[in-house]
Amino acid sequence: MNKLRRSLLLLLLVLAWALAPLLLSRHLIDLFVFAGLFTIGGLGVGLLLGQCGIVNLAQALFYGIGAYSSAYVTVQLGLPSLTGFLAGMLASALIAIAVGWPVLRLTGFFLALATLALSLIGNVLFFEWDWLTGGTLGIGGIPKLSIFGFAFDTPERVYYLVWPIAILVLLLADNLVRGRPGLAMRAMRDAAPAAEVLGVDMHRLKTAMFVICAMLGSLAGSLFAHYVSYISVQSFTVERSIAFLLIPVVAGSASVWGIIAGALFVTFIPELLSGFGDIHQVLFGLALVLVVTLLPDGLIGGADRLAQLLKRRMA
Amino acid sequence: MSGVVELQSLPSRPPHLPATLELSGIAHSFGGFKVLSDVNFAVPQGQIVGLIGPNGSGKSTCFNIVSGFLSPKAGRVLLSGRDMAADSIQARTRQGLMRTFQTPKVFERMSVLENVMVGLHKDGRSGILASMLRTPSARRELDRLRNTAEGACRKFGLGKLLDAQTGRLPAGQRRVVELARAYVGAPRLLLLDEPSSGLNTEEIEQLRGWIAMLNSEGMTILLVSHDMGLMTIADTVHALYFGEIIASGPMTAIQADPRVREAYLGG
Repeated sequence: MNKLRRSLLLLLLVLAWALAPLLLSRHLIDLFVFAGLFTIGGLGVGLLLGQCGIVNLAQALFYGIGAYSSAYVTVQLGLPSLTGFLAGMLASALIAIAVGWPVLRLTGFFLALATLALSLIGNVLFFEWDWLTGGTLGIGGIPKLSIFGFAFDTPERVYYLVWPIAILVLLLADNLVRGRPGLAMRAMRDAAPAAEVLGVDMHRLKTAMFVICAMLGSLAGSLFAHYVSYISVQSFTVERSIAFLLIPVVAGSASVWGIIAGALFVTFIPELLSGFGDIHQVLFGLALVLVVTLLPDGLIGGADRLAQLLKRRMA
Repeated sequence: MSGVVELQSLPSRPPHLPATLELSGIAHSFGGFKVLSDVNFAVPQGQIVGLIGPNGSGKSTCFNIVSGFLSPKAGRVLLSGRDMAADSIQARTRQGLMRTFQTPKVFERMSVLENVMVGLHKDGRSGILASMLRTPSARRELDRLRNTAEGACRKFGLGKLLDAQTGRLPAGQRRVVELARAYVGAPRLLLLDEPSSGLNTEEIEQLRGWIAMLNSEGMTILLVSHDMGLMTIADTVHALYFGEIIASGPMTAIQADPRVREAYLGG
């Protein structure tokens, strides 16, 4: 019965997702596209935070690398879009190995601060290297994403592309977390010395996960660049890194699928609050404080508790 | 002093048993403070060897040196005759060394079964890509890990707690989880650091049973404990005092040694 109910719920969700672009305004479709992008980028940060216990504040760096790679490869070099995706992910992976290998020897606050520094350095470089990034002027005229001749040139088309990609990476991440490396990651998070004694090569595993996180950030950045057609350094600041970190924090850091809820929260709540004018950022801060204090296990943990409460009431 | 010489002359390494672990001339200091000085002893294959000593005597340092958390300032640690000086903690694990901790270091947010499955990590092959793609070999391996871990859980009486969150278990059960996790990887040498700490009398008796069972299955054990009752399970006991071994022998002889009584038991 439970299985049947779950399947029906899933079917309803898929139907709602498929029909949404037909019913929603352009603005809302935009927001859903961004939520999809943030799901992809936030997943990397979520895997590090929830499974490995690593606070990563450098995701804007890799988001930027993906975006600038796609922009440079398509606008300056005139190469196909997919080349930009590959270049961005490769560059991100290499940079993640180069900086991650030494930095990931740190732990706790020191590691968080080191990743924050990476984000800051990245932002300065995006600003200074204007021959590559266009500096404050940015890069415009980025072509719409085209895969094998099919152009994703409307918000609806991008919506139907971004979300399957998001679901695919979530599925892969879910498999990973349930597999042998996932057990090792969580062991490392809960009791590092014991994990080490049991043969977990923590430094290698942390670096590998940092690389995966960077590649997801880059993927999201490339999709973002093609979607908005214009990018500048303002899109890749430390605030963006913090927003990526908020996604798993709000969702409940250990939840892979909860990343969707976190991404929807950081996309839609500021938008809903923007009607309140200048005070909207304060209200968003307040909303975050409420979620973190009232729902220590995040939105997903809160929903679980609510479901259990309802079940008990109904029994 | 003469008593010490007599005790040290007792064969702590019977000639017919090859030494699984051998510490030779181990010395260590923190800052200028000497914590271990010329420590020599062996843990023969299939035996239980105990290490006792008051707080600050160097037991934990000794344990940390053997398990690779510290590098000694001098001396050698040999596992089956091979110097482990250059080996990482993980490399020692792969060679069959396993340790527990004074305060059980269980994976609190994981289930009991998952905790014990991590004990088999070193025997696994499937990496990140294979796990992401859930390849048939990765699935088979995970099933094998699960089945083996489940068997170990049942063996240690954890059969009904497989899905329980380990962080919610009482101290005694956490200790058993840690023991099952160490056991499942079939180590050649098991280092038990104060395994009875925080346990009640009944749990200590049960622990004694587990240790005896592991040993009867051929596991070599190095045991550090304050618990004199538990220590009687050891074939040989070494008494550490201010970083030096002052006596070695069976527990009954150690308990009778005047210097040990003065240093450790308070006269």
